[in-house]
Amino acid sequence: MVRLRRLTAPLTLALAVAALAPPVAAQSLQRLTVQSFGLGTDTNAPAAGVPFHLIVTLRVRERVMRIDNLELPLLAELELLGDERHLQSGPGGTEYRETIAVVARQAGTISIAPALLQAVDARDGRAKQYATNGLVLRVAGPAPSLQGAASAAESLAASTLRVALLVLGVCSAVALVVLLARRRSVPPPAPPRLQPVVPPAAPARTRTARDEFADALAVLSADPSRATAVRIRTVVWSLLGAEEGATLADVLARPTARSAAMSELLRALERAAFTYDEDLPAAIARARRALEHVLEVMT
Amino acid sequence: MIARQPADLRAALSQTIVGQQGVVEALLLALLADGHVLLEGPPGLAKTLACRCLAAALDGAFKRIQFTPDLLPSDIVGTRIFDQHEAAFATVLGPIFANVVLADEINRAPAKVQSALLEAMQERQVTIGPETHALPDPFVVMATMNPLDTEGTYALPVAQMDRFLMKVNVGYPSPEQELHILERFAVEDAQPLRDVASLDDVRAWRAQARAVHVDDKLKRYVVALVTATRDASGVAIERSDGPSLPAAGFIEYGASPRATLGLTHLARARALLDGRDFALPDDVRAVAAHVLRHRIGFNYRLATEGLAPDRIIEAIVAAVPAP
Repeated sequence: MVRLRRLTAPLTLALAVAALAPPVAAQSLQRLTVQSFGLGTDTNAPAAGVPFHLIVTLRVRERVMRIDNLELPLLAELELLGDERHLQSGPGGTEYRETIAVVARQAGTISIAPALLQAVDARDGRAKQYATNGLVLRVAGPAPSLQGAASAAESLAASTLRVALLVLGVCSAVALVVLLARRRSVPPPAPPRLQPVVPPAAPARTRTARDEFADALAVLSADPSRATAVRIRTVVWSLLGAEEGATLADVLARPTARSAAMSELLRALERAAFTYDEDLPAAIARARRALEHVLEVMT
Repeated sequence: MIARQPADLRAALSQTIVGQQGVVEALLLALLADGHVLLEGPPGLAKTLACRCLAAALDGAFKRIQFTPDLLPSDIVGTRIFDQHEAAFATVLGPIFANVVLADEINRAPAKVQSALLEAMQERQVTIGPETHALPDPFVVMATMNPLDTEGTYALPVAQMDRFLMKVNVGYPSPEQELHILERFAVEDAQPLRDVASLDDVRAWRAQARAVHVDDKLKRYVVALVTATRDASGVAIERSDGPSLPAAGFIEYGASPRATLGLTHLARARALLDGRDFALPDDVRAVAAHVLRHRIGFNYRLATEGLAPDRIIEAIVAAVPAP
């Protein structure tokens, strides 16, 4: 199941969290031979307020009708406008492309985590988690508005615009009356389509682990739920290089997880993921403290 | 000394039993989960000592039954004898009426004797003549089997093996542990610690274990593990000396739903032993082999390929992603 996140509200943070789900059992994973799996954009110079596209591409050797267990990254700093999926299957395999229309509301640097895919590797029969590259985007400020022009010119332009709008309104009203008089059924308007996708540009650079932890803290603070904790647990484990299907003991044994701060974070997230409902607020509070401590240590 | 936590009992047992921490933990888990244990290992590996120490630490009654080919069911559960003075039958209870019962070399007795023991394990009561007697609470059977000497033995039927909550393979200690054993017990025998906890403590711990939270994700994981033993397609056994082998080719039948229950009970018990009131995937993984190894039927190919049953179980556990 590809988790579609079509947004109507501007706050993408909550939506990204709502799409969370626990890992699936091996029996329900697809058997795939992953040949390529990447994340890119259709621009390397995004600007605030200007929509652009994130593109997830996946190529597998098998002919499949759908791609299951694909997790899109958390898009905490972007507003999601739409999502379009395209799957082309042939004798040579299947190519899957998911195009996510987004817009940045502020200028600055935006880090986007890798997309994840869980599948059984058809080459060795093992359940694995594949990850794309991450992205770091530098969003430029909005296009500058006209400044310093003569006030008369501005006034003239404004007057012209008002007249144009008035004429347009009258024409629309007339057209509506004519249409109603003819009593013709009007076909529903075609759904808006995304613009053709331009091949993705090369990612600027991979985001740092600290970016991920900072995002995780922001998301957990905004939505202190079990689903968020589970999602963050997955991201943290992925950052530490945990293999698909690992347990806490496996992750704690990794050299990257042996610091006291990281160990505490892992245990706190494990508790938040599996404890009973009454204990959840305390468990999430502990996870937040642990995340803050990890960020302090990384500083 | 009264133990407040199960971990205190584990620490006390570890002082006496050296090099068998896995066995100690398994016995405690079975005690907390209210189940029975089958211990398989060569002689001399402290299986009997571990059971004796557990009973002593609990201030409970301990009985050992040496299973032999001429053993009768009445030798285990008890019998009725005629009292000439009273001119009436009197009931003599058998050695099964104890808190910890060690059934040594259980596969040396014929099927009817095994059945008598296993029925008592299941029903927690024994009927002798017209009277039904409840077994003590707690009641834990720890049975042993010797894998080396199989001549003249009676294999336990599958349905009866299923009644053991866990089967523990008892291995040899490491050289360092064996040196420690030599230094401690060369001159005098191990002296079990007594009265570390009471039987009331055990009953309270069991109630706590039953209340340990198991998240839905974890329940699904347990079910996925057990169903993977029935359909292991996609699970491969990696070998260093050749191509990988499909695990499904070695399995005759998978684990029963009793394994699902057993995994959950033991995961709860392990969480309690670790001081938690919620279970984790690590709890399930830690007990998976103990619960599954005697509940999966393996075919002849396993022996011809020279593989141990635990290799198949490890591959299945590794193939099912933990939540």
